[in-house]
Amino acid sequence: MTIDIQSVRNIGISAHIDSGKTTLTERILYYTKRIHAIHDVKGKDGIGATMDSMELEKERGITIASAATSCQWDNHEINIIDTPGHVDFTIEVERALRVLDGAILVLCAVGGVQSQSITVDQQMKRYKVPCIAYINKCDRVGANPDRVIRQLGERLGHNAVALQIPIGLEADHNGVVDLVAMKAIYFDGENGEILRTEDIPENFMELASKKREELIDAASMFSDELTEAALEESVTEDILIRALRKATLTRELTPVFLGSAYKNKGTQPLLDGVTRLLPCPLDVKTEALDLNKDETAVELIADLKAPTVSLAFKLEDGQYGQLTYIRVYQGAVSKGDTIVNIRTGKKVKVGRVVRMHANQMEEIESIPAGYIGALFGIDCASGDTFCSPNTNYTMTSMYVPEPVISLAIKPVDHKSEANMSKALNRFSKEDPTFKTFVSEETGDTVISGMGELHLEVYIERMRREYNAQVTTGMPRVAYRETITRRADFNYIHKKQTGGAGQYGRVAGFIEPVVDEDFVFDNKVTGGSIPTQYIPAVEKGFQKCMSRGPLLEFPITGVKVTINDGASHAVDSSEMAFQAAARGAFLEAYHKAGPVIHEPIMKVVVESPTEFQGPVMGTLNQRRGMIVGTQDEGPMCVIESQVPLSEMFGYSTVLRSATQGKAQFTMEFFTYRQAPKSIADELVKKAAEEKKNVA
Amino acid sequence: MLKNDLVLKNPLRLLGHDSDDVLADGGFGVVMARAGVGKTAIGVQLAINSQLRHQNVLHIGLNDPVQKVCLWYDEVLRNLICQYEVPQEERLWDVILPHRFIMTFKVESFSVPILEERLTDLIEQGIFVPKMVLIDGFSFDNEIRTSLEELKSLSKELGFHVWFTMNIHRHNTPGPDGFAPEFSVVEDLFDVAIQLIPDGKDVLVKALKGIDGTSDSYQLRLNPSTLLLTD
Repeated sequence: MTIDIQSVRNIGISAHIDSGKTTLTERILYYTKRIHAIHDVKGKDGIGATMDSMELEKERGITIASAATSCQWDNHEINIIDTPGHVDFTIEVERALRVLDGAILVLCAVGGVQSQSITVDQQMKRYKVPCIAYINKCDRVGANPDRVIRQLGERLGHNAVALQIPIGLEADHNGVVDLVAMKAIYFDGENGEILRTEDIPENFMELASKKREELIDAASMFSDELTEAALEESVTEDILIRALRKATLTRELTPVFLGSAYKNKGTQPLLDGVTRLLPCPLDVKTEALDLNKDETAVELIADLKAPTVSLAFKLEDGQYGQLTYIRVYQGAVSKGDTIVNIRTGKKVKVGRVVRMHANQMEEIESIPAGYIGALFGIDCASGDTFCSPNTNYTMTSMYVPEPVISLAIKPVDHKSEANMSKALNRFSKEDPTFKTFVSEETGDTVISGMGELHLEVYIERMRREYNAQVTTGMPRVAYRETITRRADFNYIHKKQTGGAGQYGRVAGFIEPVVDEDFVFDNKVTGGSIPTQYIPAVEKGFQKCMSRGPLLEFPITGVKVTINDGASHAVDSSEMAFQAAARGAFLEAYHKAGPVIHEPIMKVVVESPTEFQGPVMGTLNQRRGMIVGTQDEGPMCVIESQVPLSEMFGYSTVLRSATQGKAQFTMEFFTYRQAPKSIADELVKKAAEEKKNVA
Repeated sequence: MLKNDLVLKNPLRLLGHDSDDVLADGGFGVVMARAGVGKTAIGVQLAINSQLRHQNVLHIGLNDPVQKVCLWYDEVLRNLICQYEVPQEERLWDVILPHRFIMTFKVESFSVPILEERLTDLIEQGIFVPKMVLIDGFSFDNEIRTSLEELKSLSKELGFHVWFTMNIHRHNTPGPDGFAPEFSVVEDLFDVAIQLIPDGKDVLVKALKGIDGTSDSYQLRLNPSTLLLTD
């Protein structure tokens, strides 16, 4: 492996689902001679595209987990992360962008800028990832690259400029005109591997000249050298490329390539674009936080001799054990090195070091700064930083969106239970947006993630990879009960059924309290309840708080004051006073105006402006209170507060209301009293359930 | 002090309107001041006063995101609660929140047709029907007469009145009527105009239109730390 950091490109390929990223990656690997045959994404030939290494991905025709791979083009090393296109897997895209220096934004020549393109673009903006665009599927009926370029500007705010024009579209798509070199390029051979460069056909010359003018105009905004050259009519390919590169690196300009990956057209010029326009690791400023200096930001240098700083950005449970994908930012990670996991403080000895090519691997000695590779046998979580001993840097934490949906799961048998546990442990390590916990209230195992499809895929993976069969249900919403007014109690617990009797009397009142779950106030004077029984009384009341009489959910916000009572010299005991407290609580509870509180979620929907009305409608129908709307050009953000119980299945509803162009996040906001009709319904349902159990 | 007493603390009581609206449907009011003097605070007080009277207020922010607008309400209400020692803060919020709807736009993308489209969405779906609209950050610098006329007819049609906040530029000398030149050209469309004038550590509230412009109108002051009217 040669080390010339200037010739390294760490790129991601991001786009909307089905715009052809995986096909494009497959072609890139083919033309860079990493693979020697081309397979279909949907696996019609039984093999499937090389990047879709998971069986499930092959079956569904979608990319679930990013697979990292490297290839060489024109003396450059290109490390590619293929990223999922579905909105439910955005953490994969986010992670990829965190470690990448540049990206190819793939767009469909027919579909144009779709919702996921908007999401991915926002993520790219967040991480300031320079990108070039590739308009794919120019061979399809309805292909219109000009429209897509316009949409790049209108919908995404890119200063998009075409570097090529198509030679024919739809069935007539034969090649492209390179506006930088002013040459026509055709793709010959069985798989388009032979490039034929010719003069621009007569009938395309006028358009090509006009578009080249536009290209030079756009690029000259960022280069005095180009402006001068343009005035003197002496623009060379080098000057133009330098100007384009400069503007691309600062995200001020987005060069647009086009073609049809499936029809083997346009991939090689795109690869040239990657090497000529996208940044090398030295072009990108990377910072870590020095934990020894109160998290001061430190700029990392892609220097092999500097102490190692690297980031684990992806874990995979492969056939040879856990595979950890890392990006080395400074120094190098070599076989036999000792590195420290900064989060855990554990020292780790580096064993096998590999370069991945989808699900095949190549053993290497070292991963130098600026490169992406993978390690075997490292126990860590996704997002961990690894450094040389004595270096205490951490990479800035990756933005992890909060899970938005939860589901209760139950293993069908004992074997599945053990396997499910293993699988959940693995998935939550691999994917920070996937969380799992056991509900204290219901005892169910609950999984939560970024959307229904996200959870669905994990359930499938549990079944396929871990042989864990599970049934799923709707998780019960964690309601709370509380009281709204003061109520007195005076309860005597008396039992004489042979043997030692039980006697205890407690008197006082309960009242609502804010900001506390339970407060106990002892105002008994004169020893009407002997001091030794007071803790038992408190315990008796406290036990009542764990299950409310209405729904059997916890009771919160209650202050209990006892001010009187009575005991019996022989029959009083701790048990008797606990029972008396329980009786007293029940006596007072129903007089204290009990109500049900429900969790209210803060729901933020991001949608194209044209769907603002329908989105507000969906929230309103769910008893949501819309706090506000924020118009942000083509997009709008709607903030609302919606009861959690109304949010199940919302992702599907939102998708259908907005043609899949909106997305939402949801987080816990507060507990608020449920409307009477809803509370009555819940009480009725709980009573029925109780009856059925009995 | 109870909620009803708080209602009586209407910031417009200097105009002789203790507990009702000074503006009729289609009416325009403006709070003008230099930057940072307290226009938004007064606007939010007007809005809260309406909300306490169970009237829906649409707050349109042209510079700030929704979160920042919410913070204004948090701050002003907290100060009101403190100043007038109102118990049961939580319940007061429960009264106010359902009567508030915030819309924010970029200044350049705000227009009356867009507002009409958004309002129609809200009203048709029964989500929110405003009685008062507060436009914070409206630019009076450009040719706005047509827009204001369109807004006036929309507000008459849909049954709400509009309060604006207006930034007075330091370099613009007021005309003989006391109005900034950019306001003079549309002054006839407004029923009420209030100006906030810094005076040493205090802020004076001056009614320019909608009340006799006597020196008595200087009687109200803003507390510069809370930006609430002092008693």
